[in-house]
Amino acid sequence: MSVTTTRPAPAPAVRSPSDRARSRARQGGWGVLPTIVLLVGAFYCLVPVLWVYVASTKTRGELFTTFTFAPGTGLGENLTALFAYEGGQYLLWCLNSLIYSGVGSLLSVLVSTMAGYGLAKYEFRGRSFLFLSILAGVLIPGIVLAVPQYLLLSQLGLVGTHWSVLLPSIVSPFGIYLSRVYAMSAVPQETLEAARIDGAGEWRIFQRIVLPLMVPGMVTVFLLQFIGTWNNFLLPYIMLSDQSRYPLTVGLFTLLAKGSSSPALYSVAITGAAVSIIPLLALVLFLQRYWRLDLVSGGLKG
Amino acid sequence: MRMRPLVACAATVASLAVLSGCGAASADPEGPVTLEYWAWPAGSKTVVDEWNAANPDIQVKLSDAGGGDESSQKLLTASRAGNAPDLALVEYTTLPSLIVADVPLEITDYVGDVQDAFTEGTWAQTTFDGAVFGVPQDVGPMALVFREDRFEELGVPVPTTWEEFREAAAAVKEADPDSVITSLPPTEFGFFAGVATQAGGQWWSVNGEEWSVGIADEASLEVADYFEELATEGLIQTEPLLTPEYNAMVNAGTMLSWPSAVWAPGVIESVAPDTAGSWAMAPLPQWTPGDTAVAYQGGSALVVTKDSEHPEEAAKFATWLNASEEGNTLLLDEQSLYPASSLGQEMAESNDPPTLMPQQDDFYAVSADISAQTVPVTWGPNVNLAKSVFEDELGKAIRNGTPWRDAFVATQDAVVADMKETGFAVSDG
Amino acid sequence: MAPYLFTAPAVILYVAFMLVPVGYAVWLSLRAYRIEGALLGRKTEVFVGLDNYVAVLTNPEFAAGFGRLAVYGVIAVPLTLGLALLFALVLDTPAARLKRFGRTAIFIPYAVPGVVAALLWGFMYLPSTSPFSYVTRALGLGTIPFLDGPGLFGSLANIAIWGGVGFNMIIIYTSLRSIPGEIYESARLDGAGEVQIALRIKVPLVVPALVLTGVFSLIGTLQLYSEPATLQPMTSAISNTWVPLMTIYRDAFGTDDLPQAAAASTVLAVGTVLVSVVILRIVNRKRMGVER
Repeated sequence: MSVTTTRPAPAPAVRSPSDRARSRARQGGWGVLPTIVLLVGAFYCLVPVLWVYVASTKTRGELFTTFTFAPGTGLGENLTALFAYEGGQYLLWCLNSLIYSGVGSLLSVLVSTMAGYGLAKYEFRGRSFLFLSILAGVLIPGIVLAVPQYLLLSQLGLVGTHWSVLLPSIVSPFGIYLSRVYAMSAVPQETLEAARIDGAGEWRIFQRIVLPLMVPGMVTVFLLQFIGTWNNFLLPYIMLSDQSRYPLTVGLFTLLAKGSSSPALYSVAITGAAVSIIPLLALVLFLQRYWRLDLVSGGLKG
Repeated sequence: MRMRPLVACAATVASLAVLSGCGAASADPEGPVTLEYWAWPAGSKTVVDEWNAANPDIQVKLSDAGGGDESSQKLLTASRAGNAPDLALVEYTTLPSLIVADVPLEITDYVGDVQDAFTEGTWAQTTFDGAVFGVPQDVGPMALVFREDRFEELGVPVPTTWEEFREAAAAVKEADPDSVITSLPPTEFGFFAGVATQAGGQWWSVNGEEWSVGIADEASLEVADYFEELATEGLIQTEPLLTPEYNAMVNAGTMLSWPSAVWAPGVIESVAPDTAGSWAMAPLPQWTPGDTAVAYQGGSALVVTKDSEHPEEAAKFATWLNASEEGNTLLLDEQSLYPASSLGQEMAESNDPPTLMPQQDDFYAVSADISAQTVPVTWGPNVNLAKSVFEDELGKAIRNGTPWRDAFVATQDAVVADMKETGFAVSDG
Repeated sequence: MAPYLFTAPAVILYVAFMLVPVGYAVWLSLRAYRIEGALLGRKTEVFVGLDNYVAVLTNPEFAAGFGRLAVYGVIAVPLTLGLALLFALVLDTPAARLKRFGRTAIFIPYAVPGVVAALLWGFMYLPSTSPFSYVTRALGLGTIPFLDGPGLFGSLANIAIWGGVGFNMIIIYTSLRSIPGEIYESARLDGAGEVQIALRIKVPLVVPALVLTGVFSLIGTLQLYSEPATLQPMTSAISNTWVPLMTIYRDAFGTDDLPQAAAASTVLAVGTVLVSVVILRIVNRKRMGVER
């Protein structure tokens, strides 16, 4: 939220006020309807989020007894319980989520950008085969991969370590696909040719010319990958058994699972969920302006 | 409560006279070993801290891989990948399937000498064909946990037979339509298996070299009919337990009992701490007046896995926790478990009753009585499948209003088919 | 040489973490854990050919899972896309106010992990904590059966819709923004209203975006797992084999039948590819037909 408020006031609408009035007049009674639709949608999307914040203020007794949206009196208590849980494990989960998503997405962006650029701007044997097989990867359910990945990574002795979650998160068929689409439209062939005539090496061209051009696409891939990894549950759930390596999703899930037999943990889990949404909200609000989702929508044409 | 290392050492030596004692272990040239240990009960951390403080050469590292079901699923996967922990707590129900999957190590030679600390029936839960695969940790002799105050208020006597239980249920409904005597949903596989055993059913048993499966034997089907009648007459609920919904009823005092096992007070206490003092425990109702036999529901054993590089040290920890005085003190005080060992059960009698029922001074005496009357249960190698099918089929029967016994029959068929497919010898009938 | 070097890291990782596991899963699906006669023998892996596939394809519960998935999908996919399109069109309407707020608010659920989303909605559904049931009870209408009978499908679909509308809306919206404004101007000069412009001009132009989001929603539908799994402890209406992935999970982890799970996974993956290809084919043909 802070991000939007610290921004200068939204740029004035392109149309002049009189223009707007005219268009509204033309629509007659329809004028407020779009706004209402939007507000109803916003309400629908915000209610559960609002709930989790209200619920995080309730004590364990209030949670099931007071009206759903009546604020409670236990926020401080819940926060203390949350951060004290098993010696501060919650912060560790946050850190892990950050590592898995941050490092994983960064590497993923790099790998995807290189591959996308290679697939978009070079002619080579096996290109379309490679591209199609990578595309097919989008269609494979994660659960199909999780168990074999587990067995294979255990052969390498990596199961249970941070690597077991990081490494599989780097491959992103969708990211490669998007990078290719973006490279096709954002990197002009002439620029590449000119650089080659000047005698620049391929790697240098990529570093100096291609990468800067592809930044908006990379931001998009990074964000999608970051959110995807942050929200991923099954892979870390299967790979990890040491609680201190859990990401937030798995940590909160175990809290909830335990909540059925010791409901004191319900409040902790709810508060944990409420807190865990904040960094992602901030990220989304902040980066909303930088990413290029037309990539995704325009992709099919390309 | 903190134990001095010396005392712990002495205790270990005393209880494990045959195994190498503390002195020998510390002289180990290989230096300290670290054991990975999976367990879920609350308070496990304290247990491990106590042990580690007393055993610098055998350090135990605790991981919580989730509750019983989850933990055994993870254990199986980890074992297939060759990186199971050294020690893992598993429920009796899943032990046979883990043995078949080659997860636990046979530890007969390491733990044989502590057998005397357990009753024959309890020890049998972890012994198959004379081979010991784990040290029993806690048991769940079945019992009825109920709201003493509400039963009194409504003028309903505490049932001693299932027939009386039906009358009590009806009386509760009559006196207070907002209250219900209990909820028994399809997910209570362990309960239904327990009461079927109590009625003389044998869901799995061994005849010579063959298995026989009796989930749909006559006794079990009658049990199915009985509870179906209660449910269709609206005398019991069939909603899942320990949901926010259920917990609200427990807190409001409208859920009047939980026929389960002696571990139940701890669970209810965490759900509804404010109701402490209103609860009591009685022996589980009987199918035949005058009978005393009950079965177990729940309970777990500590196993050493095949992947362990230090099985001897692991077994030492397992026997310390479950067969020594220190260990049993921790089980009782820190983990709130009802110990499997006779030693622990004796020690329990001098313990205060659970916080949920401080007025029931004879809680542990009653528990010991019940425990002495439990009939051993044999679990088959595919209990997880049985549980899954049972839950689904009984759920379907309840929703569609079809006979419960059909669900028992369907489970029986699925279990037998699965066992035959896997290659077990199963006798027909 | 360059293109191979640029694609090498991706290819290596792709092979290591997708192709090899898929191959391994397929190999595993042809095997089974069997035991030799004894009471508690040890399981050994043996080759059983297509036995697992036969078992999967003849398992009525697995098929029933697809049936439930279909009901769920019929509710979730069109509603997600329809609402996303509606909100995108509204955002693109000159008359709408509070756009930034609306767009951000509708997008927020995308940032909430599925497990947490299911938890939030679970509490919205449970009679004792549901604000909706609170209102209906106050009105004397009783509790809404969110987690029982046919209501369950709607409740589960709702979680997916809630989580998916924002992302799809943004995709469609960005696609709308890339349409040059002059196209509308001429329509406005011809006296077309905003609604007509939306339906006649905008919707056909964002069909590619709709197809893409549709295919993704469909794939998401086939992979439905964490929502019903998270709600399962709250209701007996969700069985252990409610959707195909729950059966797969149970076989892989619950009942120690990894090969069977691998076979079912393969069936599901092949099914997903087939469905996606068929849909893309149909849609592309239609579009070409229209364009001609």
